[in-house]
Amino acid sequence: MKFKIFISLIIFLSATVFFLDSCKKGDIIKNDTGYHPVSLKFSVPAGWPQPPTDIFKSNPLTEEGFQLGRKLFYDGRLSKDGNFPCASCHQQFAAFATYDHQFSHGSDNTFGTRNAPALFNLAWMKEMHWDGGIKHIELQPLAPITNINEMAETIDNVLKKLNIDSSYKRMFKAAFGDNTITSQQMLKALAQFTGSIQSYNSKYDQVKRGKASFTVAELNGYNAFKSKCNTCHTEPLFTDNSFRNNGLTLDAFLQDKGRMGITGDRNDSLKFKVPGLRNVSLTFPYMHDGRRFSLSQVIEHYRSGIEINQPTLDPLLKNRIAITNQQKIDLIEFLNALTDQVLLQDKRFAQPF
Amino acid sequence: MIRSSNFFLSVCSAILLLSSCVGKAPLYIKGKVKLTFRNMVSGSPMALNTSVYTNPFAETYTISKFKYYISNVKLGLSGVPTTATDKDGYHLVDQSLPESLSFSFEADEGSFVTLSFLIGVDSIRNVSGAQTGALDPLKDMFWTWNSGYIMAKMEGTSPQSNQAGNKIEYHIGGFSGANNALRYVSSIYPNGKTVAIRSGQTSEIILEADFNKWWQTPNDIKIKDLPVCTTPGVLAIKVADNYSDMFRIVDVVNH
Repeated sequence: MKFKIFISLIIFLSATVFFLDSCKKGDIIKNDTGYHPVSLKFSVPAGWPQPPTDIFKSNPLTEEGFQLGRKLFYDGRLSKDGNFPCASCHQQFAAFATYDHQFSHGSDNTFGTRNAPALFNLAWMKEMHWDGGIKHIELQPLAPITNINEMAETIDNVLKKLNIDSSYKRMFKAAFGDNTITSQQMLKALAQFTGSIQSYNSKYDQVKRGKASFTVAELNGYNAFKSKCNTCHTEPLFTDNSFRNNGLTLDAFLQDKGRMGITGDRNDSLKFKVPGLRNVSLTFPYMHDGRRFSLSQVIEHYRSGIEINQPTLDPLLKNRIAITNQQKIDLIEFLNALTDQVLLQDKRFAQPF
Repeated sequence: MIRSSNFFLSVCSAILLLSSCVGKAPLYIKGKVKLTFRNMVSGSPMALNTSVYTNPFAETYTISKFKYYISNVKLGLSGVPTTATDKDGYHLVDQSLPESLSFSFEADEGSFVTLSFLIGVDSIRNVSGAQTGALDPLKDMFWTWNSGYIMAKMEGTSPQSNQAGNKIEYHIGGFSGANNALRYVSSIYPNGKTVAIRSGQTSEIILEADFNKWWQTPNDIKIKDLPVCTTPGVLAIKVADNYSDMFRIVDVVNH
């Protein structure tokens, strides 16, 4: 008898603890559905500044979310005719830019109006697009998916296509714990993938870590870079993420005024985002509209091609940049040392199927 | 012996059931506030597509879409900063969806004499990444190329429009700097009425929104000159200034 009462007491106490706990938190029910995503850690490379905001704060980075984002990134079903996944314009072998295309090729034989940017180190980028129109990494995919010159699809249709695919239903549930696929989950998953793409393993980085040394030409190029380019293309990201007019002539056909199209401010006319230069040897053609096909042409622009009478021209460029022929050669050597083979070959970022 | 231990177990279970959810008892006594929006055009209930309206410049038009966001709703006490707030409430009022024309939220007991809200989605939500519910980009109130919410939208036709199909479109948005089209509405209930929130009861505030306010005061918007507004900027600001005056509280009912 005493023994039985003792057992009853034990059961009672354990049950009480369980019930009190269940009143306090609701996540026991969640755990019962088998929702156990594996957390991933986002690391800031040694010596780098912290990102301006934590892009994973309200979008916890998990293996399931990352893999879902990866699948979505490579899936043509996000486009109207099935031929244009995100990866069609953002190719890993080109550091997630479009190799050798001035403009991206979009749905129904269309061209985009700007050169597709490379995708890496996006956690440090507060505004996306050449004109900074997109203010959050999660909102970025809405633009290419719905743009008639790009993927030409509606978000509604994309969700319909995803919802009838059982493997997506499984993956969304594993990543977010819900049975319904929403636009928010799709966008957060894509942000987990694209936000995870980092580039910090170029020869330049090895040199900075004391693991390699520059050739004489690279070193001379680096010194020239620091005295002539570094103000806008600030290390270690090789951009200060500002918007500047670098003195390109307005294209009469495209009539692209850049940042002004977003702010409506005439002072922003012809300003575009300063692009990061990591992997720059692979991201040609250059400039917002891809009008320069080689690094040599780009450097030539800065030393002789800048249209110096433009009212909004960046003050740093009003006298153009004095660059000798030898410096030009050395600069290109240095820029080639910004190529990150680890990024280009990282299987985690490659097509999953 | 077995009986007595069973008895012991049942008593324990009863205590357990009674005690297990004590922590759930509300700390405050709450009632509900319901806001109901009646969309009007110059004194008549708005009818989509079928009715032809006339603006202050004698231009005729029809309305096919009329939608706007209401957020940051607060009830205020007289002269006291204490408020009842519809926290994290973002509501899309869509004339084509009757169920969207009213919404409710919980509030502490009290008598409130002022109502304020934002026409649109505050700037923080515009830069906080992918949203869901009323803020889902699927709601067709989101700009993808200059990311941000359309605060209020009207579409329709007018013979005075020089656009294809005589289309008129006013998509009003922009949340930062000189392009900020967010407008606060703040008003005192008419005729000295108060919203008296009582536990378990609902107080309803009925508002009218007069679309005809979009055309005039302080800014003249003539269809023949300005049939389309689809970007943040000067024109959007002008329309927002006009529509910031479109709401009137017509009644308060304490159920």
